Amino acid sequence: MKALSLLLIAALGVSGAFAVDRNNFKTCEQSGFCKRLRAFKPEKSQYTLNVDSVFVHGNVFSAEVVTVDLEKKNILWRYALRLSALADGTFRVEMDEADPLYPRYRTQIALEDEPKGDGLKLISQENGKLTLANTQGHKVIITTEPLKIEFVDHTGEVAVVLNENSQLVVEPLRVKTEKIGEDDEQGNAVEEPEGTWGENFKGHHDSKSRGNEGVSLDVAFPGANHVYGIPEHTDNFYLKTTTSGEPYRLYNLDVFEYELDSPMAIYGAVPVLYSHSAKRSSGVFWHNSAETWVDIVNYSEGNVVSSLVNFVTGGQKQRVDARFISESGIVDIFVLLGEKPADVFRQYTTLTGVAPIPPKFSLAYHQSRWNYNDEADVRAVDDGFDQHDIPADTLWLDIEYTDKKKYFTWDVERFRHPTEMVANLTAKGRKLVVIIDPHIKREAGYFVHEDCTEKGYYVKNKDGNDYEGWCWPGSSSYPDFFNPEVTKYYVERYRYENFPGTSKDVHIWNDMNEPSVFNGPEITMPKDCRHWKPPQDGQDGLAAYWEHRHVHNEYGQWYIRATQQGMLARSDGKYRPFILTRSTFAGTQRYAAVWTGDNAAEWGFLQASVPMCISLATAGISFCGSDVGGFFKNPDAELMTRWYQAGAYQAFFRAHSHIETKRREPWLFDATTLARIRDAVRRRYALLDFWYTLFYEHMIDGLPVTRPLFQEFPKEEATFTIDNQYLLGDKLLIRPVLEQGVTSVKLYLPAKETSTLWYDVDSYQVVTANGWINLDVTITKIPVYQRGGTVVPRKERVRRASALMANDPYTLVVALDANNTARGTVYIDDGETYEYRSNKYIYGSFDYQPTAFTYKFINEDANYPTRSWVERIVIAGIKNAPKSAKLVQGGKQTPLQMTLHRGNDVLVVRKPAASMASPWEIQFTY
Amino acid sequence: MIYSAWIRQLQSLTIVLFTFIISGQTDVPRPRGVSLSKASLYSPTKDFTCFDGTSTIPFSYVNDDYCDCFDGSDEPGTSACLNGVFYCTNAGHRPQNIPSSRVNDGICDCCDGTDEYATPGTCSNVCEELGREARAKAQQLADLHKAGNHLRLELIEKGNKKRSEMAVQLSQLEKDKAEAELIKSEKEALKNELEAKENEALQVYRDAEEKERQRNAEIERQQREKEAREHFDKYDVNSDGTLTIDEIQKALIFDRNKDGEVDQEDILHFFGDKDSVNLEYFISTTWPMLKPLFMTNQGLFQPAVNEEEAEEPEVDEEEEAARDTEDVGGDDDDNIDEIPHDHTDDHDIEPDQSGKYDEETQKLIDEATEARRQLTDAERTVREIESNMRTFQQNLEKDYGPQQEYATLDGQCLEYEDKEYIYKLCLFQKVTQKSKNGGMEVGLGEWGEWAGEEGKKYSVMKYTNGLACWNGPHRMSTVNLNCGLESKLTSVTEPFRCEYKIEFTTPAACDDSNLAQQETSHDEL
Repeated sequence: MKALSLLLIAALGVSGAFAVDRNNFKTCEQSGFCKRLRAFKPEKSQYTLNVDSVFVHGNVFSAEVVTVDLEKKNILWRYALRLSALADGTFRVEMDEADPLYPRYRTQIALEDEPKGDGLKLISQENGKLTLANTQGHKVIITTEPLKIEFVDHTGEVAVVLNENSQLVVEPLRVKTEKIGEDDEQGNAVEEPEGTWGENFKGHHDSKSRGNEGVSLDVAFPGANHVYGIPEHTDNFYLKTTTSGEPYRLYNLDVFEYELDSPMAIYGAVPVLYSHSAKRSSGVFWHNSAETWVDIVNYSEGNVVSSLVNFVTGGQKQRVDARFISESGIVDIFVLLGEKPADVFRQYTTLTGVAPIPPKFSLAYHQSRWNYNDEADVRAVDDGFDQHDIPADTLWLDIEYTDKKKYFTWDVERFRHPTEMVANLTAKGRKLVVIIDPHIKREAGYFVHEDCTEKGYYVKNKDGNDYEGWCWPGSSSYPDFFNPEVTKYYVERYRYENFPGTSKDVHIWNDMNEPSVFNGPEITMPKDCRHWKPPQDGQDGLAAYWEHRHVHNEYGQWYIRATQQGMLARSDGKYRPFILTRSTFAGTQRYAAVWTGDNAAEWGFLQASVPMCISLATAGISFCGSDVGGFFKNPDAELMTRWYQAGAYQAFFRAHSHIETKRREPWLFDATTLARIRDAVRRRYALLDFWYTLFYEHMIDGLPVTRPLFQEFPKEEATFTIDNQYLLGDKLLIRPVLEQGVTSVKLYLPAKETSTLWYDVDSYQVVTANGWINLDVTITKIPVYQRGGTVVPRKERVRRASALMANDPYTLVVALDANNTARGTVYIDDGETYEYRSNKYIYGSFDYQPTAFTYKFINEDANYPTRSWVERIVIAGIKNAPKSAKLVQGGKQTPLQMTLHRGNDVLVVRKPAASMASPWEIQFTY
Repeated sequence: MIYSAWIRQLQSLTIVLFTFIISGQTDVPRPRGVSLSKASLYSPTKDFTCFDGTSTIPFSYVNDDYCDCFDGSDEPGTSACLNGVFYCTNAGHRPQNIPSSRVNDGICDCCDGTDEYATPGTCSNVCEELGREARAKAQQLADLHKAGNHLRLELIEKGNKKRSEMAVQLSQLEKDKAEAELIKSEKEALKNELEAKENEALQVYRDAEEKERQRNAEIERQQREKEAREHFDKYDVNSDGTLTIDEIQKALIFDRNKDGEVDQEDILHFFGDKDSVNLEYFISTTWPMLKPLFMTNQGLFQPAVNEEEAEEPEVDEEEEAARDTEDVGGDDDDNIDEIPHDHTDDHDIEPDQSGKYDEETQKLIDEATEARRQLTDAERTVREIESNMRTFQQNLEKDYGPQQEYATLDGQCLEYEDKEYIYKLCLFQKVTQKSKNGGMEVGLGEWGEWAGEEGKKYSVMKYTNGLACWNGPHRMSTVNLNCGLESKLTSVTEPFRCEYKIEFTTPAACDDSNLAQQETSHDEL
């Protein structure tokens, strides 16, 4: 027996060499409210709307909702319901206690602004049903008893239903009674489940002095094939039925060696859920920052019990139900009625905001490592890129650059001359990114610690004293950014004079902001820690502060918000900051780019990076990437090559590695691998202006930059579950090679119905869409297709850094559709300031017709004195080549030379030399 | 590759325009960015053929800021081709080839500033200044090498001397060894002779001892039998001279499985599968089996626990670990196993049992003991000579540089201190690191080999197979040798995890003939 167990341990030791320690993290069963509310499945909901209380004012419908004892018929508790009609096909439903014992937390910084209202009318009230309509053709049908709310789309079909499964719960706040089982005012026995006033997990006690305050709601999507969203998880993009296992969890956690294909919580939490079918897309945004669990039942999955299917859906096999369970807050849900995928994605960013166009360099290639050891090391890596002729825009410094993990300081032994070091980088157009984490080292004499202690700026523990946790510096405390004074103080820290060595070209990486607390419950802050709340008369005791449980998923966002304000303040609002964050929440796109955290040099993590980033992109956060090469462990040459090739087509493109891995700057691989990496990085630079244009357009239209196929092809069922390929804008289709040792990959080319043409960007060979194809690949091949009918701007003169390419000429790749036409756009500005807000930019359109290729300014009031010009126009898929061409610009006409390549029907217009600073037209004659 | 295959086929015809620049430094006209040696390939009177031969274009297409050649050869003076090369003359300093992506990018790459011609005034010509500095630096280096070369020549002389001395010493050692072996065999013969006498004398005593032993054994046997008989009588309740199962079952003390009774099976085991036993069988077989149990019950006897055995492997591991860490680089490892084994221990005679033997015997014993000691000494001398010889042989086989300039440095140790550690390089031996906060010395590698690039083999030393890093490779060190007037370490870094880089200056690396060669190769002005 002993021998056997030893053998088992040995076997586990081998297979478990890289794996999350699941014991550190709660299951639903171990999370009091999840266990309690998940088990709550009444046959009939206790919640009833009081018809007499109904009131419609402006865009808001309000009413009293009560819970009723189903047997005794007496009222148990009273709630206030608000339903608002909002602009752009959106409704909001809020339900709080009518008179809560203390205010319940309402999430503060997920929404960009107060949402814009729409008109709302009560159009009928009969048979216990109220019907409301907005001005956009959507209706809401409220059944009063039990309460059910149905949202009806343009076609008259029900798109979203709330509380159909009777799982609406708002646990009332109660006074703690000494004796368990005491009666309440009405004489009913109050049952207090175990754990109401305190819970334990792995030696951590959560004091729960407010008792239970959970909320729950079920949401049905009739007719939906799949649901998507609620990042961040390592699972597929499309969500799966969770009833036989754990729900998807949203609780920002620093999960060491996180596992793949899992519903476990990791660093980020964006509680937006989308449903989709060929007919319609809709979605809900669960506006709550507390720990949240989401159950999914997809009735089309084979393993969902058929009796259940019949019971709930009346035999309908196409439907998805979801259920949100949160530890605290109120019920606050936005219903997005689509009806196309792009509509729901936009409706979400209408609420939570878009990413402002990032500084251009941040879309280029980033080189990072934990750690570049000293100034000489930084210099050597910087020079290495030049010696090996690989472009790079930034070098990154991880935590070791600081004086013993005291942020806003430098290790003076290793980084004695940070100003000169930065100047060396910027002399080549490069930037530096340094890490700043939220934990503050508790060390006497450290100015940040002394200031925060003296002024009471730290998050407090349950007893009201400064909370102390353990993180990189050892004993640490955490500034409470909920206090505007703290944020103001922190903003000042980023001023150039307060952080010597920094300049406009030093940008910030905010890590560990879940927050990560090494010795805390689930490696984070205890839920009974106290956060600042604006002082208010009569609000004392438990009402005088928020508990960490209320705000947890939002904490990291308050942090990056402070950083953003600081970086704006340091340049008086002149320069755009670049911030990278690990923790995410609804609205993070307004502040920072995101990476997928501490992954590993394994093929599985390369694969996971694609759905993880698509999921974040649809949740507003397009600026996403993974550590190229994998953070932990050492990648071999093939994995490294494939990761660079994939990363070149993901929005945030950064190589990073753990301090204990072998060094892996590209030139440390063999010459062949080095050449392949160089090629991949150059491809990125050639497309940088295309990326930049996409991010500008995201700022305008709120749509993802990296898109799931079904966003563009919503009627093609095959695309609904494809999450290893995606689109850049509506123009390029990317299918990174994510598999080891393959010589061919399966690839789906959508829009067969419209005979869409797809052009291989390497050869301009055209393929007519026909669904799945097998494509032969070599180690140098990255399958990328340009959609017929599009124009993509490229800059083929790849320099050391993107800033050096500003004046370089464009190559315009025109991929013709079946009608021999194509369209595209380009955005040009200075790449780093907010001058674009004063119309100092060019947003140009390209329109190719067989007679002429036209470049116009979309906004004619805006202009930018670019020195870029057009060096080459490549027209792919040309069947009937023109005989001659001339450029017309500024009243001048210039004849142009062209070369036709018959092998692949490519016409190249040689050196039109048209300036991009003003409109032009190239006219063709046949 | 960014440029697609169609560029290969690109071919058009247009009017030829002459776009020539005259290089300021020479009279040979050539397109911008072309070196003198390639000037002849760009002839303005002919169409231009790309160097790779894939395409021929009008000469006006050369340097027209549009890439026509797959190999970039048509745009030596612009940034149009991703794979192009721009040549700067850099008069006054060294000429340079830069990637054409650095042309007109706003950064001064050529000291003559010719790479930034699009924005005149961006770069000033600093070649004269840089050239002067570079020449001064080269001169300094040459002076240093020259000065160092004297020391190097001394080192060579000493090195050669040391080697020849070692060779002499080695042959001396060979002689010594032959002599020592002769002595050893003499001593061995003497020892054998004296031991024979000693044995003969001691035989008398041995016989007496044997008798004594037998007598003691007999007494012991009788005691055992008596004890068994007593117990037999105790359990043989009916005193019939036979012990039955019933009788023994009453004696709970023999309950082997401690369940409160003595079960049949146990007794059958003790009784040799018989119902009863007589006294004779009890004494010879049953009692010896029962006695330990009896004693256990009485608390007199503890079953043996194999603790020592269980712990032994751990001890071994520790020892091994200790050996791994402490004995790194010990050349004498091979000898360790040979040192023990003093021959005295095959004899059961305890030498200081004085008084036990008569005077004459004692004298024989003393003589034999002395002979054994002398033999041991003689053997040790042989081993020591052999060990010395091995060291000399190994050193003679070591590569001390092309002219033995490094020979005298063997074993010399140099230290380098940084904030946290003290590093020690013992040349041709090992590299170690010791924390200033204490703790044990960590081996960063043992002498491995010369590892410079081709033609510069003796510029780099590698010390490999140091202490293994946790979860990682064995530590190793690379030592770069530079010319300097004294031997010292100028820096120690760890650019890669567990791979240390040491900068070491020594006059042995000063070679002015080498330097002169390098200098000439740079002169292509």
